[in-house]
This record gives sequence, C-alpha cells and structure tokens, in this order.
Amino acid sequence: MNVNELLPFRKSLTDQGILLCYNGYITEEVLMGIGATIKHKMAAAQADQNVTRGLFSLFVEQMQNVIRYSAEKEGSTRDGTGLVLHYGLLVVGMEASHYFVACGNMIDNQDVDTLRNNLTHIKSLDHEELKALFRKTLKGETPPGSLGAGVGFIDIARRATHGFEFDFANMDESHSYFSIKAYV
Amino acid sequence: METIQIAATERTPRVLLDFDNHNYSLSGESYPEDVSDFYSSMLNQLENHLGQLRDVALRFDFSFVYFNSSSTKVIMRLFEMLEETAQSGNQVVVNWYYKEGDEIMQEMGEEFALDLQRAEFHLLPMPEILDG
Repeated sequence: MNVNELLPFRKSLTDQGILLCYNGYITEEVLMGIGATIKHKMAAAQADQNVTRGLFSLFVEQMQNVIRYSAEKEGSTRDGTGLVLHYGLLVVGMEASHYFVACGNMIDNQDVDTLRNNLTHIKSLDHEELKALFRKTLKGETPPGSLGAGVGFIDIARRATHGFEFDFANMDESHSYFSIKAYV
Repeated sequence: METIQIAATERTPRVLLDFDNHNYSLSGESYPEDVSDFYSSMLNQLENHLGQLRDVALRFDFSFVYFNSSSTKVIMRLFEMLEETAQSGNQVVVNWYYKEGDEIMQEMGEEFALDLQRAEFHLLPMPEILDG
C-alpha cells in the first residue's frame, strides 16, 4: 500500500469516527496494549469514569471472545507449542457522541443459530432482566463450549448503555462472519 | 496455615489470605488470561480452611476497580463460601469497597450480597489510599 491508497483509507476511517482499528491476530498482548491505550485516551479526553469503565469492559469482553472463539486461527494446542493465534477485527470509535467497540471474527456455520438466538434473547431484555439472567447463568452449570463463566454477552448487554447490535454473513459452506458493536 | 500474599499486576488483583489472623482481601483489577489458573488453588485452600473453622470472627475485604465476566464466577463462589462458613457459626464480615461514583462496581457488590444471609455485608466507598 502506498500513500495514495493509505490516505483515502485513513480518511474513510476518520470520517466514520474511528479512533482505533486493528485487523489481525488478536492475542493477550494485543488486548493488554490496546487496553492501556484506550485507558490513556479516555483519561486524556476526561471522559466520565462510568463511560470509561463501560467502554473498557466492552473492549475486554469482545477481545476475549475473539481470543477464545474465533474460528479463524493458526497453530494448535496439540502441536506442542501450545500457541494458537486467533484472527479478528477490532474497531473503537465514536458515533453521535457515544463511544463504541466493535469486533468481527469468523465462526463455524453450525454455531450461527445458537449464537443468534442467544443474542436475540439477550437484546430483548431490560436492565433488571439482564441482572436476573446474569445471576441465573452464574449459578447454573457453565454452558457447553464456554471457556469463561458463560456470561460474556450478558455482561456486554449490561455495559452497553446505548445498546448493541450484531450480525452474521455467510462466507462459505463452513464459515460465517460474526460482528458485534456495542455503544456506551 | 501459611499466608498467601500475591502482589497486584495490571490484570490480576493483590491477594491477601491471612489464614491465621482470619483476614482476607482482594484488591485491584481482575481479568486474567486464565481465571482458573489464577484462582483455583487459592480458592480450594480457602474453602478447606473455612470448612474447619468454628466460632471465629473473620473479615473479607473486596476492593475491585474492574473485573471481567469470567472473574464474576470466582467472586460469586467466594461469597457462597463466606455465607456457608457464617451458617456454620463463624462471625463473617464482608466489606465491598467501590470507587465513589463507580456505578458498575457498586451494583455488582449489591448483586453478590444477595447470597449473604448470616454474613454481615457492608458496601463502602473506597478509601483514598486504595483509590487506583
């Protein structure tokens, strides 16, 4: 990419209010580095502490989702290195004076329906209902396939004080692309 | 039993489990790469220890600035353990400190406290010295 390609790319990002954009391997190191940068940016912008904490929560939950569940990955825990690199896309920006965090990653087609149903249900709940579901899920068995507490999306919904949206796009016979965008 | 003391990192809390003096605390941030790696062993030790205590006064201070969703399960389990040992006749005080104005941490404290019946619970603004 030369400057004639990069400049319009940069302009398109800034025109959309994008503060930060990363596409590639999402690792714990990337999470820590970008996380610290977001904290610095919010401190410099003298943002409200609840907005800062909310944005940071949305960021951590979404990044950990990509690290744990992205179907686009290299390496395997079985090859002896124990290193798996998960691929994903992160965008942090501001739209109509609300900060947002968006992530995209590939998932297996077979997981689309479960994820869509789960998120559709979570999106339909109000604050108190989300609290109740959060508690019920924590008290129950961790959902199959979950590598955390199984409450990541509920947590995102709770912290997204200005809502969240999600979408899927079919890529080929085995994979779809999943995106989630949450506003604070 | 030997005290467990772990310094805070950017993503894990400062841990103090002073078994002999019945004084426990977690403070700072909690979003470790692997929650069970960080917490499992200390939780098991604490659970065994609390199960053996009788007629003891103990205190657990939580002073979190941030924790991720995976950590919530650990904190809920701690609250359950504390309530159980209170039900067994120990005198348990749980202090939940939050940064003044931090609505998320205040609300989380209230939610975890729903598990406490016999254990005494206090929701308190964080002293300036802990204000990180």
